Amino acid sequence: MLLSAESVTKRFGGIRAVDDLTLTVEKGELVGLIGPNGSGKTTLINLMSGALVPDGGHVRIDGISMSGKAPHVFARSGVGRTFQIPRLFRRMSVLENLITPALALKRTYSRVEAEHKAHQVLAFLRLTHVAALEARALSGGQQKLLELGRALMLEPRLLLLDEPFAGVHPKLLDQVAERIEELSRTGYAIVLVDHNLDAVRGLVRRLVVMARGRTIADGAPDEVLRSVDVIEAYTGR
Amino acid sequence: MALRAKPAISWLVAIAVMAALPHWLNAYWLHILATSWYYAILAVSWALLAGFAGQFSFAHMAFAAIGGYTSGLLAVDLHLPVPLGILCGVASAALVGAAIGWLCLRLRGPYLSLFTLAFALILQLIIIAEYQFTRGSLGLSVPGLFGGNSDLPYYYAGFVLVLASLAIMGALLRSRVGLFLRALREDEDAAEASAIDTSYYRILVFTITSAFAGLAGGYYGHYVGILSPNIVTIPEMGLVVAMAVVGGIENLPGAAIGAIFVFVASEALRSGGQLRFVALGLVIMLTQRFAQNGLVVLAAARLARATRRRAPSPKTATG
Ligand SMILES: Nc1ncnc2c1ncn2[C@@H]1O[C@H](COP(=O)(O)OP(=O)(O)OP(=O)(O)O)[C@@H](O)[C@H]1O
Ligand SMILES: [Mg+2]
Repeated sequence: MLLSAESVTKRFGGIRAVDDLTLTVEKGELVGLIGPNGSGKTTLINLMSGALVPDGGHVRIDGISMSGKAPHVFARSGVGRTFQIPRLFRRMSVLENLITPALALKRTYSRVEAEHKAHQVLAFLRLTHVAALEARALSGGQQKLLELGRALMLEPRLLLLDEPFAGVHPKLLDQVAERIEELSRTGYAIVLVDHNLDAVRGLVRRLVVMARGRTIADGAPDEVLRSVDVIEAYTGR
Repeated sequence: MALRAKPAISWLVAIAVMAALPHWLNAYWLHILATSWYYAILAVSWALLAGFAGQFSFAHMAFAAIGGYTSGLLAVDLHLPVPLGILCGVASAALVGAAIGWLCLRLRGPYLSLFTLAFALILQLIIIAEYQFTRGSLGLSVPGLFGGNSDLPYYYAGFVLVLASLAIMGALLRSRVGLFLRALREDEDAAEASAIDTSYYRILVFTITSAFAGLAGGYYGHYVGILSPNIVTIPEMGLVVAMAVVGGIENLPGAAIGAIFVFVASEALRSGGQLRFVALGLVIMLTQRFAQNGLVVLAAARLARATRRRAPSPKTATG
């Protein structure tokens, strides 16, 4: 067990964005997380990365409780994440965006080593040609890729990706999916949030469906998608 | 090789010119420049805090006052040697800076600005109210750093302090800490997600920049010989902001040059009365509109382009 959320609850005023939810991610697993708008997917990602503190329940990494820990501690424990709307260091270069987390992670890392690693990530994401640009100059799809790259620079064991396909050009879509598949093959555990059922179902071996802050289904994609609850959640009855 | 040598040469030339300058200056302009060093250190440290780390604090003059008054009071009441007093002033400004940084941890953008402004105003009121210690609005007479009546030693001491401040803060920015501070400015949540302990670096940047503000205050007090709560006024803070903006808020040497330029210009235009502040305001507005990186940075870029054009090398000829 790599990361587990145990009976986590998060309230915003009157609504329970995440409601007594339990989810465990194993090493190297690729999990799809789907659900209608406002079902609590992003809130769950925020809870699992320390960006939000649960009102109830615990998040554990390697069985150790992360209660009261800041997000950078989650990052140092091996959790990398992206944001639904890309949040880059906009007025820093693409290369600087990448070396920053590496240098923050390891005091012993030299700038040269970090840049060497950054160039490998850039090549992997096909972004080498924009390395010197400011991040704000990138297209929406390129920003999504760069955010993935920034998370990769942490050498995480678990990647939490919040809608990596949103706003990505159809031509680039396959490329993003390919990168994610490749990462999964090399041993990263990944939680993949998306609206696009078709994009996710082909990619993952486990699908979790959320509705109103709870998981309503969890299992093999085909099985899950046949279940009545899921169809209800998506059609709104 | 040649490209790398260029900045070093411009630095050496600038230092040599400033070192030789007093030969051609009368006592009045020597005094003006020696005073401008105070503003230069403040503008540079505020540029680091606001321009690089994104913390738009209006408490900077309060830290200058803390440094100045700590050192001044130690010299007056305890007869502490002035250099030692200045060090204590720097330390106390750093300490209070750390506390303010900690208190501001959850405040962002305009809320931080308002909080720090309130802190500065409270400190000003305390200085006025605690008359028996600080002499209030009358001002506290403090001993000079050097004996004698000449401003010359202050000119050189202040100049060295400006250079040292630029060297230390510049080195900090070139290290990985510079990257973390800029990441903090760009997006705190993304910085946290990138393994950066943003609370630590916020407190760190407040501590360091407050220390330099305290140093400026100490230098100023023991140079002009009198400290008053006027140091902490909003117009004074506005002046330092203007200096950094005109020079280049994301360029430390630019901020220093901006400070010297603005201070000298405002003195040169003294005959213009209040109109000079109108002129200053216009310059700031135009800078913000047309040269957001600052006039000094803009001028340096123009100059570089002009010299390149005059001596075209095969590499740049296409540009
Ligand atoms: N910071 C916040 N303050 C108040 N309410 C919030 C906040 N964040 C989320 N919510 C509420 O919590 C619920 C779940 O939101 P969340 O963003 O987690 O949904 P989601 O599943 O990611 O939706 P989407 O698919 O649209 O991204 C929504 O009702 C939302 O309005
Ligand atoms: Mg969402």
